[in-house]
Amino acid sequence: MMSLFRDPILLAAALGTSLPFLSMAIILIFTRHNQRLSASISVGSVSTSVLCALYLLITLSHAGAPIQYEFPWLLADDIVIPFGYLLDPLSLLMLNIVAVISFLVQVYSIGYMAGDPGFSRYYAFQSLFAWAMMSMVIAPSMLQLFIFWELVGLASYLLIGYYYEKWSASQAGKKAFVMTRLGDIGFFLGLIILVLGFGDLSIVRMNEAGQAHNIPQYLLTISALLIFGGVMGKSAQFPLLTWLPDAMEGPTPVSALLHSATMVAAGVYMFGRIFPFYSMSPEAMGLALAIGTVTMLLSSTMAMATYDLKQVWAYSTVSQLGFMVMGLAAGGYFAGVFHLTTHAGFKALLFLCSGIFIHEYHTNDFRIIGRQGGRKLLIPMVCMTVGALALSGIFPFSGFFSKEAVLGVLANHPNKLWLFAGLLGALMTAYYTFRLIFFMLFPKSAGEVHGEHDSHGAGHGHDDHDKEHHGYIFWTMAVPVMILAAISCVLGFSQSSLEHFLLGQGTVPAQLAASHGTEAHAVAHEGHGIGHYALLLAAVTMAVGGILWAFFEFGRKRATQEGFLRLFPKVEQLFAARWYMDAFLRRFLDDVIYSGFTNLFTRNDRRIIDGGIDGICFFTIGSGRLLSFLQSGMLQYNLLVMIAAVGVVVLYLLLA
Amino acid sequence: MNCLNTYLIIGAALFSIGLLGVLQRRNLIGMLIAVELMLNGANVNFMAFNRFLAPEPTVGQIITLFVMGLAAAEAAIGLSIILALFRRLHSINIERAQQLRG
Amino acid sequence: MTSMEMASFPVLTAILMSTIVGLLVIVFIPDGRDKLIKQVSLAFSAIGLLLSLWVYLNYDVQKGGLQFVERYLWVKGLGIYWFNAVDGINAPMLLLTAVVLFTGVLTMWELEVRVKEFFAFMFLLVAGVYGVFMSMDLFWIFVWYDVSLFPMYPLIAIWGGTRKEYGGMKLTLYLLAGSALILPGIIYLWVQGGSGTFDLFELQRIGFTPHVQRVAFVMLYLGFGILAGVWPFHTWSPVGHVAAPTAVSMIHAGVLMKLGAYGILRLGMTLCPEGLSYWSELMALLATVGIVYGAFVGLAQTDLKYVIGYSSVSHMGIVGLGLSTMTVNGINGAVFQMFAHGVMTALLFSSVGYIYDRTHTKMIPDLGGLSRTMPVASAFFIIAAFAGIGVPFMASFWAELLVFISAVKTYPVRGILAVSGLVISALFMLRVVQKTFYGEKNEKWEHIPDVPFFLATPRIILVGTILFFGMFPRIMLDVIQSAVIPFVASLSV
Repeated sequence: MMSLFRDPILLAAALGTSLPFLSMAIILIFTRHNQRLSASISVGSVSTSVLCALYLLITLSHAGAPIQYEFPWLLADDIVIPFGYLLDPLSLLMLNIVAVISFLVQVYSIGYMAGDPGFSRYYAFQSLFAWAMMSMVIAPSMLQLFIFWELVGLASYLLIGYYYEKWSASQAGKKAFVMTRLGDIGFFLGLIILVLGFGDLSIVRMNEAGQAHNIPQYLLTISALLIFGGVMGKSAQFPLLTWLPDAMEGPTPVSALLHSATMVAAGVYMFGRIFPFYSMSPEAMGLALAIGTVTMLLSSTMAMATYDLKQVWAYSTVSQLGFMVMGLAAGGYFAGVFHLTTHAGFKALLFLCSGIFIHEYHTNDFRIIGRQGGRKLLIPMVCMTVGALALSGIFPFSGFFSKEAVLGVLANHPNKLWLFAGLLGALMTAYYTFRLIFFMLFPKSAGEVHGEHDSHGAGHGHDDHDKEHHGYIFWTMAVPVMILAAISCVLGFSQSSLEHFLLGQGTVPAQLAASHGTEAHAVAHEGHGIGHYALLLAAVTMAVGGILWAFFEFGRKRATQEGFLRLFPKVEQLFAARWYMDAFLRRFLDDVIYSGFTNLFTRNDRRIIDGGIDGICFFTIGSGRLLSFLQSGMLQYNLLVMIAAVGVVVLYLLLA
Repeated sequence: MNCLNTYLIIGAALFSIGLLGVLQRRNLIGMLIAVELMLNGANVNFMAFNRFLAPEPTVGQIITLFVMGLAAAEAAIGLSIILALFRRLHSINIERAQQLRG
Repeated sequence: MTSMEMASFPVLTAILMSTIVGLLVIVFIPDGRDKLIKQVSLAFSAIGLLLSLWVYLNYDVQKGGLQFVERYLWVKGLGIYWFNAVDGINAPMLLLTAVVLFTGVLTMWELEVRVKEFFAFMFLLVAGVYGVFMSMDLFWIFVWYDVSLFPMYPLIAIWGGTRKEYGGMKLTLYLLAGSALILPGIIYLWVQGGSGTFDLFELQRIGFTPHVQRVAFVMLYLGFGILAGVWPFHTWSPVGHVAAPTAVSMIHAGVLMKLGAYGILRLGMTLCPEGLSYWSELMALLATVGIVYGAFVGLAQTDLKYVIGYSSVSHMGIVGLGLSTMTVNGINGAVFQMFAHGVMTALLFSSVGYIYDRTHTKMIPDLGGLSRTMPVASAFFIIAAFAGIGVPFMASFWAELLVFISAVKTYPVRGILAVSGLVISALFMLRVVQKTFYGEKNEKWEHIPDVPFFLATPRIILVGTILFFGMFPRIMLDVIQSAVIPFVASLSV
C-alpha cells in the first residue's frame, strides 16, 4: 500500500480507474436525490480520470518496456487472480480514448438528460461503466480482463434499459445481455482451457511467442476460437450482431459512448490485446477474417434500408467493427487499432450530433428531422457532416487514414477476395452515410416523400424544456460535439507518430510485426509502391463514388429520394428485417428453448418426478385405507386383539 | 400359606380382574380403575419376588414405588382426558368415542 | 489432531445456547407482547451473529485445523462426545446461519399472527442448524439435523401461503426420508468402526474398507442430497419455498439446503473418500443435470417464489459439481458457493417477501412496473438477481469461477454443459426482473410506499455481505482454503 503513494505512475493508474467507482457508490448511496450534485461528482471523477490518463500517456510515451503492477486478489490453490495495471502503448491509448470520450459524453449528458427523473441513476451507471471499462483496458491478465468485461456488460444492460418503463428498452437490454453472455461463455471456456494449459493468464506472458509450445496446437486453436466468441458477442460480430441495433433504445449519449465508441470496441481491443497469441493460430485468424467480412457486408446492407437516424449509425458501427476485425485478422495490428481509435472519435461525434437533433425534434426519423428544418441547427449539422466524411473515408478526415491502413493490410493478404470485400464495404458505407446526410440537408416536402411506415417516432422520456434553459443546455451538448469534430479532423495526421508509439517501443507486437514482414505499416508507411497508389485510388474512388451515388439518388434537386432499393422490394425487406436473423433467433428461442427444453423439463418435473412421488404417497394412503377396516374405533376390541396376540406369543414361547 | 405362590396367585388374580374390567366395562372411569388393578397386580409380583427370591436388594420395592408414581400420573392424565371427552361428548361411555374409526 | 486444543471459553456452545436460551425466553413471554417478542428475538439473534462473527474473525488461518474445540465425553459406552469445533469449512457456514437468522427476524418484523410461536419455532430450527454445523460427532450431527427438520412442518403449515399443507407435508416427508437414509448410514459406519466412537475424526482415522465406504457414501449422499436439492430429489424445494413464509424460505433455501451439501462434505466425503471417488461420476452428472434443468424449469415459472426455488436447484447443482471434482478449487468454490448462494437467496426471498406483503400477489403476470413505485425495494431484488447470474464483484461469481474451472478440468463434457447453463440462468433471471419490475407504471400498486429504512435493513445487510465478499473474496477464500487443502490431501491418501 505504501508504494501506492511513492510511485506517481501507480497512483495515477489507481486513481484514474477507481475514482469512477467511488463516484458510483457515492451517487447510489448518498446523493440520489440531488441531481446536480450527482452529475458534478460523476463528471469530476471522470475528468480526474482524463487527467490521470493523459499524465500516464505523456510520462510513459517513451518508456521502453511495458510497466506492470500486480497485487494478488484471489489465491485459490493453483489459480491466482491478480488485480493490477498493465501500462503499455495499447492500453494507454485505449485508456485515453475511453476517458476522453466518457468525459465528453458525460458533459454532453448534462444537457441531454436534463430534467429526466432518473438523472442521478444515469450518472451512477455512467460511472460504473467508466470504472469497469478503464479497469478492463489496463488489466494485466486475461482473468481480470474477463471480470471487468462482464461488468462492462452489466453497465451496458443497465444503460440500454435505462428507460425501463419502455418495454422495448428493457427487452433490448435483456437481449444485449443474453447475446453477449452467449459469446462470453465461449470466452470463459477458452480461458479455462488456457488456465489449464498455461497455468496463468498474464497477457504479457500469453503474448510471448515461446508459450505456444507448452500446449498442443489444436488446443491453442480451440481456445483462440472460443475466446473469439467473446469478441463476437461484445463487438457484435456475425451471428451475434442483432443486439447492437436494438441497444439504441438507450439514451443517445449512451449509444455514443457504449454502443459505438468504446464498449463494443472492447471486443476488438481484446483481439488486439492478445494479438500475438492469436497470430499463433492461423486457423483462428482465418475464421475471424471471414466473420469480420460477413459482419461488415451484412450490416452495411441493413444500414441502407432504415430511416432511423440512430439505427443507421448502429449498423454502421457493426460494419466498422467488422472492418476492424478484418484488419486485425489479416495481420494488421496497427491498422485495426488505428481504425478503432479514429472510429471511436467520429462515431461518438455522429451519435452526439444525432442526439442534438433527436433532443430537438423528438423523433428518430431523419426524413422528418430534415423536413422540419434540421439543417438549421448549424453546429450539429456541420459536425455531423464532418463525422460522415470521416466515416466514408474522405481526405483529410481521420477515417481516411485508418481505412487506408486496413485496406492496405487486406491488399497484402494472398487472397484478394477480402480486399474486394473491403472496397465494396467502403462503397456501401459512403452510400448509406450520405443517403442520410442528403435526406437531412436537402429535404423534400412531405408530399414528395412516400410512406413513412417504419418511422420510430419520438418517445424518449423527457418532455419539452423551458426555452430559457435552452441556451445552456444546447451549449453543454454543442461543445463536446465540436471538440470531437476537431479531433476527427486532425487525428488522421497523427498516424505515423501513433504507429511509432504503438509499434516502435520494442513491445511484443512489434517483434511480431518484424517477424511477419507483411505488416500493414510496411505498406502504409514506407512501401509507396505502385500497388499502394492504386489502392489509394481505388479506395478514394469507392468513397467518392458512394457519395455521388447517394447524391444522385437523394441529393440532387430532381432526386426522388427513393433509392435503388425501392426497385427490389424483396431485397429491401430482407435488409430491413436484418436478413431475418432476429426472426430466426426468435424462432429458435420460442421453439427450442421455450416450447422445447423448458416445456419438456417442466412437464417432466410436474408429471414424472412430482407425479411419481405423489403416486407413492397415494399408494401409501390407499393401502392404509384398505387396512383401515381393522380400526373399528372400539377401544376395547383393539385391546382384546392386542392381548390375544400377546397371549399367542406367550403360548408359542411356552410351547417351543 | 406364606409362600411365593400365594402372592403370585393373588397378583395374577388382580391382573386378570383388571384385564377383564378393562375389556368389559364401557365406563371410562371403570376402565381406569381396572388399569390400576392391573398395575397393582404387577406390584404384588414385584414385592413378592423381592421378598422371596432376592431378600437383600431393594430393586423390587423401588420399582413398585416407581409404578405407584406412574399410576398416579397416569390417573391424573387419564382423568383429565376423560374430563375433556366428557365436555365434548357429554358422556363417558367408551362406545361413544369412536372418532378413530378407519 | 495435534493442532487441537481446547478453547478456554466455550464460544461455540454459547452460539448454540443463544438460540436455545432465546427460545426459552420467548416461550415464557406472555402472549400478546408481540413487540417485546420481536425485540427479544432480534437481541438473541444478534448475540449469535456477533459470536459467529467473532469466531470467524478469530479463526487463525495460518494455523488451520480445528479451533475453538470443545470435546467432552458424554456417553461412554457408545462413544458419544459433546464435540464442537470450527475449521475453515464450517466457520463460513456458522456466519451464514447467523446472518440469515438475524435478517430473517428483521424481515418478519411485521408479522402479526401467532408471533410467539413463530419465533419459537424459528429459533428451534436454527438451533438445529447451528448444531449440525458446529458438531463433530456423528450422533449429535444426526440429532441436530432432525431438530432442524421438524419445526419446518408447523412453520409452513401454519404461517405459509400457497398450498401450505401440501408443501409442508411434502417437504417434511422428503426430508425425513433423507434422514431415514442418514441414520442407518451413520449406524453402519459406527458399527464398522468398532462400535466405540461417534467422533468424526476418530472414525476417519480408523478408516473403512472400500466396500463399506461405497455403501455408506451412497446412503449419506442420497440422504443429505435430498436436503441439498440434488436432482432428481429436488421437487420438494420449490414447492416448500413457495408455501413457506418469508423468513422460513430465507432460512430454508439460504441455510438448510447448505446443511445437505455440508453433510455430504463433512460426513460422506471425510469418512468415505473411496466411496466418493467411486460415486463421483454420478454426482457430477446429477449436479450438471440439476444446473441446466433447474434453469430451464425456472424459465417457465410464473410465481416469483417458484423462480427462486428453481434457481436454488440450479445453484446448488454448482455446489454439487464442485464437490464432485475432488480438487482443491472445486471444493473451495463449492463451499464459497454455499455461503454466497445462502446470502443471495435470502436476499431474493426477503425482497419478494416485502413485495408480497404489500401487493398480496407473487404471480409475475400480475406484477410489473414495480420499479416506478418502489425503486429501493426493487433494487434489492435486482441486485440479488445479478448475483444469481454471476456478475463480477458479487460473492457467487468467484465461487462459480472456481467450480467451473475445476469442473471443466475434471469432467470436460459435463463442465462445458454446466457453463452453458449460465446463459439460461441469465435469461430466466433477467426475464423475471423485466416482467416484475420494468415496464409501464402499474396503477394497481401506485399507493404502495417504498420500503422504509428500518424494514430495508435486512436487505441492506445482505446486499452488503454479497458485495463485501464479492470485492474481497480472499477474506472468505483464505479461511475456506485452510481447511480444504488438507482435506483434499486426505482424500488422495
